[in-house]
Amino acid sequence: MERKWRKISGLIGLLLLNFMNNVSSLSLTITKVECVYEIVRFEGDIVSGNFVVVDHHIFWSSDHPGIDFSITSPGGDILHNLKGTSGDKFSFKAPRSGLYQFCFHNPLSTPETIALYIHIGHIPNEHNLAKNEHVDPINVKIAELREALEAVTTEQKYLKARDAVHRRTNESTKKRVIGYTVGEYILLTIASVLQVVYIRRLFSKSVGYNRI
Amino acid sequence: MNKGMVFGGRAACFLPIFLVLCLTRNSNILPVAEAIWLTIPSSGTKCVSEEIQSNVVVLGDYYVIDENNPDHIPTISARVTSPFGNNLHHNENATHGQFAFTTSESGNYLACFWKDGSHQKDSELTLGVDWKTGIAAKDWESVAKKEKIEGVELVLRRLQGIVETIRGNLIYLRDREADMREVSEATNARVAWFSIMSLGVCIAVSVLQIWYLKRYFVKKKLI
Repeated sequence: MERKWRKISGLIGLLLLNFMNNVSSLSLTITKVECVYEIVRFEGDIVSGNFVVVDHHIFWSSDHPGIDFSITSPGGDILHNLKGTSGDKFSFKAPRSGLYQFCFHNPLSTPETIALYIHIGHIPNEHNLAKNEHVDPINVKIAELREALEAVTTEQKYLKARDAVHRRTNESTKKRVIGYTVGEYILLTIASVLQVVYIRRLFSKSVGYNRI
Repeated sequence: MNKGMVFGGRAACFLPIFLVLCLTRNSNILPVAEAIWLTIPSSGTKCVSEEIQSNVVVLGDYYVIDENNPDHIPTISARVTSPFGNNLHHNENATHGQFAFTTSESGNYLACFWKDGSHQKDSELTLGVDWKTGIAAKDWESVAKKEKIEGVELVLRRLQGIVETIRGNLIYLRDREADMREVSEATNARVAWFSIMSLGVCIAVSVLQIWYLKRYFVKKKLI
């Protein structure tokens, strides 16, 4: 009898955990303003994530203003506001449940691609359940373990996105080195050939007539 | 015992509700709000993409969210393309849809959504997109059924799946870093070599110039 209730509570706990974790990872292209919305179902959930601007450093000059990022809670308060970044991590505890807004603003007109990752983690506690129910401590521990693992995964996504940016920079550097050096040689040869041709032309008629 | 019975009774009450939620997950009756919401502009497409490695299961689910007129929901069209341009999923005039595929090549997978021509109102509509890759897309109910495990053991099995994904990601990052280190070292060697060679080209070209001009002036009897 006891085992049967334990199995059912375990199943309930499993089903609860099934719906509790929310992960969104995608890349968006931003021309002016782009907003992404995510529902946080329980107050007190930890929302963590990161974003990386994927094709910068190659085309951005040193005075590029960067991308602005803001997080707005369902009540309208701005929880996080970053101006002029090229990528960052964020993490906050949701003050209330509802629709959260993650907005990017691009001050220039060139479209930028941003890799975004959001994770909403919920750890079951006594607060969310009714009075007669009891949270099995093993479910809480499992939820905490899962949140720790998801934190590692979040960090890995950030590293992957940064690695992709770094790789683009590297390949662009390699192409630039080869391209600009070969171009430099060709231009050097052309300049010297033009010099010789010009000097020949100066001396083409006999010296007696054209005193330079 | 009493507490257990009350809990058991309530468990019996909750179980069918959760089962209903499970079963109706992929239909529009009760869209489980696990997704990210995007706004689709009245003209133009909204595309989301993700860089995915090969041999990864991708599961996608999208639905239109419109609270204004629930009986006349605007429809959208969707298309999912692989990095080589193959069309993996195409849907027109729908309010919801799903797609599932296993990636065969690694690269940028693109899912694009646009409003259909029939609803030309100038309003933006909200689309919920649930995009799952890899371990998040695994069907744990069938694993539980097949191997007859449940409860805590199943949850621990899921955690083990997450740990294996983390290890796979670490190996991937390490390999990419090794590749990039090779590219960096090759570029470094090239910069040094090309700079010395440009000095050599400079000297060679100027020597040729002087030799040619000297021969020319001697020929023209100016020297």
